[in-house]
Amino acid sequence: MDFTINSEVVDKVAKITLSGELDSLSARVFQKEIEKVALQSPTELVLDMEHLAFMSSAGLRVLIFSKQKMGVGLTIYVVKPQEAIVDTLEKTGLQHSVNIVDQYPA
Amino acid sequence: MNSRSYFVFMQMELKTFPATVDSLDPLRQYVKDVSQQAGLDKKATYNLILAVDEIATNIILYGYEKAGLEGFIDVLTEVSDNRLKVVFEDDAAPFDPTTRELPDEEDFDLPLEERPIGGLGIYLTINGVSEFSYEYINNRNRNIFEVDIKSP
Repeated sequence: MDFTINSEVVDKVAKITLSGELDSLSARVFQKEIEKVALQSPTELVLDMEHLAFMSSAGLRVLIFSKQKMGVGLTIYVVKPQEAIVDTLEKTGLQHSVNIVDQYPA
Repeated sequence: MNSRSYFVFMQMELKTFPATVDSLDPLRQYVKDVSQQAGLDKKATYNLILAVDEIATNIILYGYEKAGLEGFIDVLTEVSDNRLKVVFEDDAAPFDPTTRELPDEEDFDLPLEERPIGGLGIYLTINGVSEFSYEYINNRNRNIFEVDIKSP
């Protein structure tokens, strides 16, 4: 499935919408997008994953990269991830470092 | 018994993919189709696809691309005794992913910014299938994924 990504930064909130499948190929695009939004020093990163059907460890590594790049003050929201992706976040303990929510803002 | 195992071996289906990152998407689609034909449920199918994606990525990026080599991944599949078996064979340098150091519980409790980045893929692989094994035979890496097919 084709991977697409869109981002915008408004008032220090970076919103990135991911759809399709996030593997090691598309993770390169995701990482570039993170680098781009990082230039505006956001304090919140909102990842809309409602239409993301697959995420490998390459995607998890970009989440870790985001925090390393934008600092500990960054709050990450994962909006509406599919069950299998929640499962991956939980298996790897990443659910403690991100906020899984149904909508943003709550 | 010998003739039966020979028969089973002959039934393994082979499909070959170029060892490039562009193959990951069609490879996942292929394993998804095989899993659905074998009767795996949605969750088991996803976990197997995740496992094969992780190992294929390692083979492509480290076995071939980083070594400056071009090559292929042969994907063999079979269903027998309520088990789906998927075998990857490649000609890159011997690499046993099971010897890789896995993240442990303590790593999982660390804040995101302090996490060691390696090992997540192989962790998800081993956790995603009933059995994962590796062997090096006839100068080929063989990564073997096996998933029990639960009756509905």
